[in-house]
Amino acid sequence: MLSYILRRIVSTLPVMAIVALFVFSLLYIAPGDPAVVIAGDQASPEDVERIRQSLGLDRPFLIQFGSWVWRILHGDLGTSIFTNLPVSTMIGQRLGPTLSLMMVTLLLTIVVAVPLGVVAAWKAGSLIDRVIMGFAVFGFSLPVFVVGYMLAYIFALELEWLPVQGYTPLAQGFWPWLENLILPAIALGCVYIALIARITRATMLEVLQQDYIRTARAKGLGQGGILFVHALKNAAVPIVTVIGIGIALLIGGAVVTESVFAIPGLGRLTIDAILRRDYPVIQGIVLLFSFVYVLVNLMIDVIYTLVDPRIRY
Amino acid sequence: MSATLLRIDDLHVSFSTRRGMVEAVRGVTLTVGAGEMLGLVGESGSGKSVTGFATTRLLDAAGRVTAGKILFRGQDVTKLRGDDLRQLQGAAMSMIFQNPRAALNPIRAIGLQIADAILTHKRISKDAARAEALELLRAVQIRDPETRMNAYPHELSGGMCQRVMIAIAISCNPALLIADEPTTGLDVTTQKVVMDLLADIAAARGMATILITHDLGLAARYCRRIAVMERGRIVEEASPKALFGGPRHAYTRRLVAASPTAVSRIEDLVTEEEREGYAAIISKPRQELAAGTPPLLEVRKLAKRFDQGAAAVADFSMTMAGGESVGLVGESGSGKSTTSRMICRLIDPSEGDIVFDGQSIGHVAARDFHRSPFRKDIQMVFQDPNESLNPRFTAFDCIAHPLMRLDGLRGGDELRQRVNECAERVGLPLDLLPRFPHQLSGGQKARVGIARAIACRPRLLVLDEPTAALDVSVQAVVLQLLDRLRRENDIALLFVSHDLNVVRMLCDRTIVLRNGGIVEQGESRALFDNPKTDYTRKLVEAIPHFEAGPALAAAL
Repeated sequence: MLSYILRRIVSTLPVMAIVALFVFSLLYIAPGDPAVVIAGDQASPEDVERIRQSLGLDRPFLIQFGSWVWRILHGDLGTSIFTNLPVSTMIGQRLGPTLSLMMVTLLLTIVVAVPLGVVAAWKAGSLIDRVIMGFAVFGFSLPVFVVGYMLAYIFALELEWLPVQGYTPLAQGFWPWLENLILPAIALGCVYIALIARITRATMLEVLQQDYIRTARAKGLGQGGILFVHALKNAAVPIVTVIGIGIALLIGGAVVTESVFAIPGLGRLTIDAILRRDYPVIQGIVLLFSFVYVLVNLMIDVIYTLVDPRIRY
Repeated sequence: MSATLLRIDDLHVSFSTRRGMVEAVRGVTLTVGAGEMLGLVGESGSGKSVTGFATTRLLDAAGRVTAGKILFRGQDVTKLRGDDLRQLQGAAMSMIFQNPRAALNPIRAIGLQIADAILTHKRISKDAARAEALELLRAVQIRDPETRMNAYPHELSGGMCQRVMIAIAISCNPALLIADEPTTGLDVTTQKVVMDLLADIAAARGMATILITHDLGLAARYCRRIAVMERGRIVEEASPKALFGGPRHAYTRRLVAASPTAVSRIEDLVTEEEREGYAAIISKPRQELAAGTPPLLEVRKLAKRFDQGAAAVADFSMTMAGGESVGLVGESGSGKSTTSRMICRLIDPSEGDIVFDGQSIGHVAARDFHRSPFRKDIQMVFQDPNESLNPRFTAFDCIAHPLMRLDGLRGGDELRQRVNECAERVGLPLDLLPRFPHQLSGGQKARVGIARAIACRPRLLVLDEPTAALDVSVQAVVLQLLDRLRRENDIALLFVSHDLNVVRMLCDRTIVLRNGGIVEQGESRALFDNPKTDYTRKLVEAIPHFEAGPALAAAL
């Protein structure tokens, strides 16, 4: 098992290397001279030349890439052109809110979607099934910002149950922290709840057709034992896969959600960095998100082997 | 006769399908005494399994008991609900199924799966249930039960999986066990071991058993009373002796005739009308090959090793003349399928050579063999006609595909004509050609598979258990067809099977394989009448015959 995990980690290295190369090339893919791009619209030719030299842009591409990677491996993501702060510090400040939002959303999604999917599959064809699947289609079709503003209007402005927007760090107490995250998590989670409920239903329907479910019934097992002990675990591999893909999509959704609910997270930082053409910050964020995604995939692969003994490692 | 345990009274079961209600069981009446073993025999679609599922209340959601009663110890099973039902299922009444590996949860250790059944019905601790599960594994004679407790179904053989299923079924000492085709798909020796075990356990525990099977010989060997079902009704109920001695119903007569025995010939299996014309073919003497004709196929010291494992096949050599039929028999895992696949050039041998018509083909990589001119000469008929036909291809497409790929036909009249010829050759009605596999019966699918294989006029046909999934009456017709193809078109047949009766009828020579090596070979009839090795003798003795029935009955 340990050697399997190690092998999987080693196999992610090429992926990370390609991601790093791509992220580094961002500057060069963008139209125009990177130094001009970084210097901005009002820079003099001297400014541009200074930037070129200070960033080492006059050196060959591969040397630049090498030293960039070397610095990243030492934890140095560069310095923001706009704020002059180290990129790692800027990301560090914004990491908490985004991670909080993603985790609460993920938890909410799994807790709501999986049971809904199981019930829909169990009662396939019934009214309950149709209602759940109807909601799923609804959840799919609504954009995050529409749901977000609607929730904020109803639950924050009209009913005044929850705060409209903002973020409180966990250090200031659990409830104040959670209070601010509930509406964003629902808004962001809608699509994933719909997606995962549908996948759970489809996979469960297939598993419930299998011979071993009949065996479980022949043993006299109750409905709960059949659904959760025998069926759900067998359906887990596709469900876990989709949850993993969901985490990747969540990153994109978080950007929009943070804008709607004024959460000072990485999403806001990303938008600000793009608007200011703050290339080192953009590079740092893309690199971080890619890393998280690779890590999530690694975790999913490990979960596969834990769930299904037939998957060899 | 002992007290009546189960009494099925005028049972009707219907299934709702897209085309409306279909009646699968139409008025079955049946009794089973305590401790009795009853055989319920019939071909696919006869309603025998549905009767079993209705009794254990495991019918699919689409199935419904529309009339009749199932009285188990005087209580009507069809009316039970909720907890009353669950107290019955797995406790007083249990069931084992066809395809044991699929019937076990693939990701749950078998020890836990047995303990599940115990914990559902007994109020004992998990440790106590585990200890009981271990005892049950011992009772079903699984070697090294402590280690096997933690094994998963994919780590066990089919026979072992069925033993685990038996352990689950008997875990709460049921009064009635329904075994639905428990040994279909297992090889003959494993079948014997599993059935002997089941019979012993049933006798020792006084458990009544309904053995649902399509194999008359098997039912005759283990049951003292057999009920024959056809199209949802019981048409005859008798002792094996009476059934084989003088079947009264026309369907039973046909079924008895179609069941291969140790002495039957292919022409014995089919009815009078079908036999005509066939007699003329077999009476025609075969053309003698001119002396010095090179063999069609020569296999030299073939071996196959899968990565890291022991050799699946080692040092396998054989020759075949054109138009000859050779049987390849052995238990599962003996390497017969691997060998046949190497000869078909679907997988690459690790060592050795294959010479076809004087040319070495053993070194052409399997993935390039489709470009070899010999691809059309060597064709294969696969085991399961359900799995080996593309569900999105019509019967026409299936047969036309090799013609387009290997004979370069582009479509149009010529292709249509060739496909029609093939269909006629295998007795497939032409109006079935536009149909998809799921719209065809098992026998029709088998014919499509054979038509596809003979489409390019091969000289060697390799058949991997081509009749294992078929009913006996369909098997009889398919065997006759194959024999005819061989005699009329001079197609050599390499017939891989664990059904020795079938091999004996169809093949001139037989090769017996064990653990990847040849243990014995020779002329089929002589080999089976007079086996030289213990292994072959064991294989031959394991075939369930009616003849063994009275001996067992007398012993009881």
